[in-house]
Amino acid sequence: MSALGHYLEVEGIPTVAISLVRPQTERTRPPRALWVPFELGRPFGAPSDAAFQRRVVLAALRLLEAPNGPVLLEDFPDDDPRARPDPAWRAPLARFDPAATAHDALPSALEIEAPQLAPLYAAARAQRGGRTTVGLSGMTIDAAVRYVADFLRGKPMTSPSAEVSPVLALRFAADDLKAFYTEAASAGSAKPSSRQIGDWFWNDSAAGAALQALRRTHLDSPDDRLKLIAGLFLVPGARVPNSC
Amino acid sequence: MVRLTDLPPAQAKRYGELDCPNLGFTPFASGPPLAQRRVAIVASAGLVVRGEKPFRGGDADYRVIPSSTPPDQLLFSHISINLDRTGFQEDWNTVFPLDRLNALAEERVIGSVAATHYSFMGATDPVLMAPHARAVAGLLKQDRVDAVLLSPV
Repeated sequence: MSALGHYLEVEGIPTVAISLVRPQTERTRPPRALWVPFELGRPFGAPSDAAFQRRVVLAALRLLEAPNGPVLLEDFPDDDPRARPDPAWRAPLARFDPAATAHDALPSALEIEAPQLAPLYAAARAQRGGRTTVGLSGMTIDAAVRYVADFLRGKPMTSPSAEVSPVLALRFAADDLKAFYTEAASAGSAKPSSRQIGDWFWNDSAAGAALQALRRTHLDSPDDRLKLIAGLFLVPGARVPNSC
Repeated sequence: MVRLTDLPPAQAKRYGELDCPNLGFTPFASGPPLAQRRVAIVASAGLVVRGEKPFRGGDADYRVIPSSTPPDQLLFSHISINLDRTGFQEDWNTVFPLDRLNALAEERVIGSVAATHYSFMGATDPVLMAPHARAVAGLLKQDRVDAVLLSPV
């Protein structure tokens, strides 16, 4: 991000960057940056909190009026209030116990579990005016679920798109699967933190168990692309068992 | 979450020690008061308008996001899965604060909002992004943009 700012400033366009990782910003020294103590992935802080976001945006834009520079690095003082767990939130489904499920049974468990979330997904979508972030794969959610399940079954896979390899299609299908689940988990009036939703998805759902199994299965694949996707693009580092 | 001390140790170490490009010097462009600026967003979240090609590993190019893009048409295709997506799922302004900029323009805190915004995908060699960033700079100038809010993830 700092490099992009550099290139634009060289062309005469003033920039101000949000900084999420302060040590990186200290090293790259962009002309202006506002460090924010927010989770990676949400540079403007709390969702559905226009007042909070406005303060972040304005604090950043005000740096454009500072007469002296370059290298202005200020700190935003407040944490994201939505980083706190909401005790009112409840997991959307009964707990799935991966330890009690054989590897071979995981694909079917996923195919049984996912449709149960459809009403909640629809409700969450309605809450957001019809918006969803499912769609990277170009598959319907049913097709994405089936694609992930069949990959885990070890079936020979054909990509649904001529422009996308079967392995890349797996990455996009997995992204859509996660989006479908996590959007469904946010239906209702509770305001769960990302960690609450992540804990449920990775610890207590068949989908999380299926992605963990896919990762384990293909970590030693002779197909380098599959090995790469399995190792880095299915399960977040913080959710890999014994990774930290 | 959020400070490096809040991340899992392995991830914190990786982010804290990530190689950063040495760009040699820090340029510093200036402009008029904020109330006269035309502001664009340049994100590195791999944002794509639905139907466009999602970003892939190593992609150094950019995607165009018109200001008229409805929220349900914007997808997050950054290749890293170590980033929260639930914030963006609930409210695109957590990554792409277009509604906040529009409100600030209505209040005349900023001059106006650009007609077009841009997204790159951050997990790419910055050197490879340079020609594409220069192309974006040309497009921003055509749109009379004189302030860019850089949104990383």
